[in-house]
Amino acid sequence: MKNKFKIIILLSIFYFLFSLQASATSLNLVSQTNEIDIGSQFQVDLMLDAEGEDINAIEGSIIFPKNLLEIKEIYTGSSIIKFWVERPQMNAEIKFSGVIPGGFSGVLSPYYKGGRQGKVFSLIFAAKTEGVGNVAIKNAKVLLNDGQGTEADVRISNFQFLISNQIPSSTFQAPSSKDTNPPELFTPEIARDPDIFNDKWFLVFAAQDKDSGVDYYEIAEKRGSNITQNYAELRWQAAESPYLLEDQKLKSYTYVRVIDKAGNTRIVYLPPTVPWYKKWPVYILVGLGLVVVLLLIRWLWRKSKSQKNLF
Amino acid sequence: MLKRIFNLQLLKKNNGIFGILFFPVLLSTFYFLLSNSVFADTGNITLTVTVSASAVCGNGVIDTGEQCDGSNLGGATCVTRGNTGGTLSCSNCSYNETGCTSGGGGGGGGGGGGGGGAIVPSGTTVIFSGRAYPKSSVTLLKDAQVAASSVAGPDSNFSITLGNLSAGSYIFSIYGEDKEGRRSSLFSFTVSVTAGVTTNVGGIFIAPTIAVDKSEVKKGDNLAIFGQSAPSSDITISVNSDEEFFAKTKSDGGGVYLYNFDTTPVDYGDHNAKSKASLAGALSSFSSAVSFKVGTQNITAPKLVKKVLKGEVNNDGRVNLIDFSIAAYWYNRTSPPAKVDLNGDGKVNLIDFSIMAYYWTG
Repeated sequence: MKNKFKIIILLSIFYFLFSLQASATSLNLVSQTNEIDIGSQFQVDLMLDAEGEDINAIEGSIIFPKNLLEIKEIYTGSSIIKFWVERPQMNAEIKFSGVIPGGFSGVLSPYYKGGRQGKVFSLIFAAKTEGVGNVAIKNAKVLLNDGQGTEADVRISNFQFLISNQIPSSTFQAPSSKDTNPPELFTPEIARDPDIFNDKWFLVFAAQDKDSGVDYYEIAEKRGSNITQNYAELRWQAAESPYLLEDQKLKSYTYVRVIDKAGNTRIVYLPPTVPWYKKWPVYILVGLGLVVVLLLIRWLWRKSKSQKNLF
Repeated sequence: MLKRIFNLQLLKKNNGIFGILFFPVLLSTFYFLLSNSVFADTGNITLTVTVSASAVCGNGVIDTGEQCDGSNLGGATCVTRGNTGGTLSCSNCSYNETGCTSGGGGGGGGGGGGGGGAIVPSGTTVIFSGRAYPKSSVTLLKDAQVAASSVAGPDSNFSITLGNLSAGSYIFSIYGEDKEGRRSSLFSFTVSVTAGVTTNVGGIFIAPTIAVDKSEVKKGDNLAIFGQSAPSSDITISVNSDEEFFAKTKSDGGGVYLYNFDTTPVDYGDHNAKSKASLAGALSSFSSAVSFKVGTQNITAPKLVKKVLKGEVNNDGRVNLIDFSIAAYWYNRTSPPAKVDLNGDGKVNLIDFSIMAYYWTG
């Protein structure tokens, strides 16, 4: 009898611990291999598993042993993060911070039931020398999509690896090698606000690229009545959103070029802002208004004249 | 039986750690099971995600999901595609704009070419269908930016087709606007889109809109809670107080619902109400919450208040990339303006962006 109770209690403990784990969101570093040949490259993906929660913001940083690994590239293509507050950069500590407007609760697909974990970004490392180490997530914060920024419980799963010259070398294909599509079409917007850039006009933009991800943006402004066909003649400048426009009179065509990690580009432009009094429909309306007023004056004049004649 | 389970002998010293842990574990397990069932109540909308067979590319006929087929461009040219000139061609039953002379269009930019060529696989399309409100406008966001809109039929059913997509994960969000101009809460989901097939996302049920007739109601008087959903839906209204009150009503043929809520049992103070709808086994998510006060007088609520959303930094009625960019400018800077410091902690950090993301409209 006593043993039976002990078994029940043990099972309860296991169930309880298992249930607790299942209720937390998790950030996982995953890779197809954890045994790497010296000199080889390999990919580690940072994945977010919502585990039934609705998540809309995450931040944290990735650290790795610099003596064993060299970071070669970071890919954000097909990331569940739609706007980066802090885009991951190839530094000794890779900090990241971004939002998912509307929230994320798992990736749906016709090929499986329920929601699966979503990719945050991919890291490409090169193995430098023999050794054992791990790529780790630090200071992770996952926030719920509840309108208050409530912090969710988060479980971390780091990536452990072994680098050895005993392991057969493998062929690694970087995501950029398969990417031949330009970034998706996007629409920049011009805005102004008293709280940034001293109320001057600025440009906001955000492109998405489902393959290798957006690498950088460039902007060119050029005055003229026609758009240019020759993009090479434009004076391109590296830019980040929000971007303070040089031409504050908004008389220029503004070109935004987005380049993905594979070098594919897309260019979109905004035409100059035409003042209201230069728009042709305004001319037509003003003309019509004048005609109506003239006809009215004429009719009133004739009416008053005919009344005078009666007397 | 219960007596056996709660046998106090378990607490006797000779049971050691098992005796001590029995009740905490049991209670924790009950707590977990209870709390888990609450989570299930908030988000159990069942979306059906299926794929359709690709259209037959190469038969010269523009099938569903195809933009063109061979030389059949369906009347499209580089100019109609937003470019200034050049020759439009068809590759894999999608427009190939690499022969067009430039990108861009009218008021808001357009596509250019470059890199390895902008060929979109044939028929990479997503079709969204579900229920909104009769003749209401339905707006679809793709990756947090407005991508398409449609008008629901008199039966509240809608369908939106989005083509020209790449393969990959997309976050789609959808909201409706009722006949009075009230906007529903945003319903978001992430879908993995496969190249060359049509993905169908069905079973979307947009949350009802909700409003109240009084901003302050005299305790004991009735408060009218109303809004719009699909016709003949079962509406569940939840009034949050110290104690949560639930009420049920039904929407009429036009999708309109009204419930006169007796405020007698509700305490003085601020409260809020939200609603959700169910119809033929389908369940919507909860609406956004509408607030009211129980006090000593009746104050009529304005018919339709232009609700300033949290995160609406530039006061244009929307929470979108412009607001995000203004907030991003102040990220980790000192003395940010109050309008970007959404939780009022004196700094702009991830919490402010999370609040903004919740109120996002695109």
